[in-house]
Amino acid sequence: MTHQHPFITMSEIQEDKLVLLRSRLEAIRKDLLEKQLSNVPTVFDKVNTLHYGRWVILSRDSFRDEPREPVGLRLVLSTNYDGIGEDHVEHHLTDLVTHLTPYIDQLYECCVGYPEEGARTEESRKNFLRKGITKTSAFFNGAPGRSVVQIRQEDALHQHIWKFVNSRTWDEGTPATAIHRAIQQEIDANPEFAWSREKAGVQGIKWGSFLSWGFLLVLLFLTGLAVFWILFIFLFYELWDKKQTLTQSDLDDKKIDKLKLVEDFFPQNQFTQVAVLKPGLARKFNFWIWMLRTRVLANDVFVKGKLLNIPTIHFARWVQFDKGKHVLFFSNFDGNWEQYLGDFIDQSGWGLSAIFSNTVNFPKTHFMGLLGVIPVILGKIPGMRKIPPMPVTFPGTKFVLTGGAYDQEHFLAWSRSTQIPTQVWYCPYRHLSIKNVNNNTMIHNELHEPLTEEQAQIFLKRI
Amino acid sequence: MTALELSEIQSYLFNEYKEMGFSKYYLMQIQNTAAAKNFLAEVAGEVTHANAALKDSCLNIGFTRDGLKELGYHEENMHSFSREFREGMVTDHRQRLLGDFEGSDPKLWKWGGPENERIDLILIVFGKDEDAAEAYYRTLRPKMETALSEVKTLDGKSLPNDREHFGFRDGISQPVIKGSGSKASGNNNDINPGEFVLGYKNEYNVYPDTALLRVKQGQSDMLADNSEGLADKKTKIKFKDFGHNGTYFVLRQLEQDVDGFWTFLKNQSKETEEEKRNGEATYLAAKMMGRWPGGAPLVKYDQDPGIDMEDNNFNYTKEDTSGNKCPFGAHIRRMNPRDVFEESPPNISLMLTRRHRIMRRIRSYGEDFIGSAENHKPTGKVGLLFGCFNANISKQFEFIQYTWANSPKFKRLYADPDPFIGVREDPKHTLEQNFTIPTETCNRVITDMQRFVHVRGGAYFFFPSVTSIKFLSTL
Repeated sequence: MTHQHPFITMSEIQEDKLVLLRSRLEAIRKDLLEKQLSNVPTVFDKVNTLHYGRWVILSRDSFRDEPREPVGLRLVLSTNYDGIGEDHVEHHLTDLVTHLTPYIDQLYECCVGYPEEGARTEESRKNFLRKGITKTSAFFNGAPGRSVVQIRQEDALHQHIWKFVNSRTWDEGTPATAIHRAIQQEIDANPEFAWSREKAGVQGIKWGSFLSWGFLLVLLFLTGLAVFWILFIFLFYELWDKKQTLTQSDLDDKKIDKLKLVEDFFPQNQFTQVAVLKPGLARKFNFWIWMLRTRVLANDVFVKGKLLNIPTIHFARWVQFDKGKHVLFFSNFDGNWEQYLGDFIDQSGWGLSAIFSNTVNFPKTHFMGLLGVIPVILGKIPGMRKIPPMPVTFPGTKFVLTGGAYDQEHFLAWSRSTQIPTQVWYCPYRHLSIKNVNNNTMIHNELHEPLTEEQAQIFLKRI
Repeated sequence: MTALELSEIQSYLFNEYKEMGFSKYYLMQIQNTAAAKNFLAEVAGEVTHANAALKDSCLNIGFTRDGLKELGYHEENMHSFSREFREGMVTDHRQRLLGDFEGSDPKLWKWGGPENERIDLILIVFGKDEDAAEAYYRTLRPKMETALSEVKTLDGKSLPNDREHFGFRDGISQPVIKGSGSKASGNNNDINPGEFVLGYKNEYNVYPDTALLRVKQGQSDMLADNSEGLADKKTKIKFKDFGHNGTYFVLRQLEQDVDGFWTFLKNQSKETEEEKRNGEATYLAAKMMGRWPGGAPLVKYDQDPGIDMEDNNFNYTKEDTSGNKCPFGAHIRRMNPRDVFEESPPNISLMLTRRHRIMRRIRSYGEDFIGSAENHKPTGKVGLLFGCFNANISKQFEFIQYTWANSPKFKRLYADPDPFIGVREDPKHTLEQNFTIPTETCNRVITDMQRFVHVRGGAYFFFPSVTSIKFLSTL
């Protein structure tokens, strides 16, 4: 099974070359879009280990809030790739600089320290990109283990089976198992699908790892440390956060126009966001805890195509940078912005609030203190009754979460106001939803299995 | 829950005016601003609100952004309206969202498009028949003097038994606004007012974004303070809310190719006998709709009961997990996913579904023609005036149209847009567009789906409260 990894590198842009860089990025975006809309192969398609890639310009203007570190002009390259070989970062860099050489050169020659024209070699280009590598804090993959090659192969397999099944008339009463067998024979007769005889590895939930983390959490609660921390954050931080009243109609029209310019061309979209972490060690530590939680859950539990029950995300990641004071969030998802954020609010408001409440000017949360009995007490305080409660029941526990992402109007406005334009965005399988990707693997894996009639019926429904 | 101020809210939101068989939608342009204000001052009291006793005729009024601008609405105040309303139905991005391409391209629209005359407001007049509606309009006309000119008039009517031209009973599953006095309908249709009226809490338990007056203008004292209590940071004075008790109205003129629709379905059949072909076409149409033409839901009736009914009491989790009864791609399953919203558990699904509902207001135009497999050639153009009320156009109407209707990736589907309103015209045959019918064994797939509904015009309106209409006359 090939593992997927996040890669991010930031390079300083030469100020006098910013206009040139922007125009080059825009030219690449337009060319890519045009080709993708008319299904013409692109240079990016040659990198058959590249799932998603984007270039983003990061500047002072990208920040809605006052940055806590001086913000230079930076070109951010972010990719999700298949890890090949022992040093997969090295392999990925080689892939990028050999297949995308013209793009790399014309973009990075606008950056500080890029090798001069005569000195550009595979190694010098790689060295340059390597310098700006930044660590990813938490990473989610909607189809763990699926390489680009596999996704494309399984897509072709699905299409072939679909055509085969629909080009024939099946007599009424034909058992599903018989149709399943006929499909097997059809695929066996096609040497191009010989690979499908070998089942694809699918990552299961890592119970061992997850339970040991869970055990640690229980221990933290039993010793009172967790409750202490929750109360500490709640009483000394959350209560003092200012209420945010920004609504969508307060947003800058020109900024939104820029974001919409590149949205909704395909069933998939991208999202790039930058936020400033609240000052103080406690907030920093709190953010770290939630990043750890997200990392653990994404690695061990959310391995079946859903992040916090959101079934539309291909890849997502958080990247803390600038000495941990700023955070970038990237996502590649199905559907449009409204649906995506709607899903977030609907299904994982608590998770999002927990993470982003550590960034400045996030809609005021009342998350931490509302565990267990505290909501009951708060409900008796007159001022607190105004806070809209959002009851969510977990097995055995009852949280009452309020504010933050559940404060829909202000959350959507926060999200749009901290979103930044993505200059170039690439996806090699934009016609597939994450559900399609995972379903195609199921088809592949069930194809050569002996199935009961009931299982075969389910198999046929997948097609 | 805050009580609804029914005598302030325009009644069309609550009442389909089924008793009034005829409606005329007058799309107007302001010619003389001062006269238009006088007209609004005079007519505000006549606007039918939700507490008014129904007379022989009714009147409701909505404004476009251009209309408010013509009346002198301050640009900064305008900015408090939702982006969708301010931008209107025609932008490049919205064209992608709504799927208005090829024959439905706004450039070809009869009204509301970039090539058409500007529309400032809509007067909707209802009467028990055409004469009554027109007679009432004639009483209004002198009050308009030189204020308004008619850009376009759209006639709408209710077809017998609430059918639309393709032949289906329409408007069965409507939300009921809590506190509106209408009987709760059960089955998840009882929705918080804030999903439809500004100034009340919605299904997220928060107030929807509303049209605040950030800059004082006109006799704003007559307006209510905003419900959320938002105030000017310096003066601490709460902003007045023009949007309070108002709602957004989406109007789209959808032409229906009834002959094309039924011919396409009949051509899917391999039967040679006409009766059997018709039977199969009706079966396919029902699969695409999720109900039999008379309204009987497929989840409950695998055979056409042949009678008209309004049965809306069903869900999908227990009744039809596999989609064998009502396909996942069927129109009603997309427009109201009930207790199967994506892959969420039933109780969460019901909650999520309630956040994406619209109050539909459908009127048909053209010949009084109800299509069927046997009879599908109307005389002249027919279609429907699709209207819907919502408090957040983006989260409701546009979400439904883009994410549920146009997206071929709905649920686990691969290439299945909504068979009625999501299929793209595809003259170059570059798109794969199917309709998948799950069965016990092998899915049956209708390939090369075609578009039989074409957009001929459209606009976003704001229907203010009675007081806000009066306020407009003071600008």
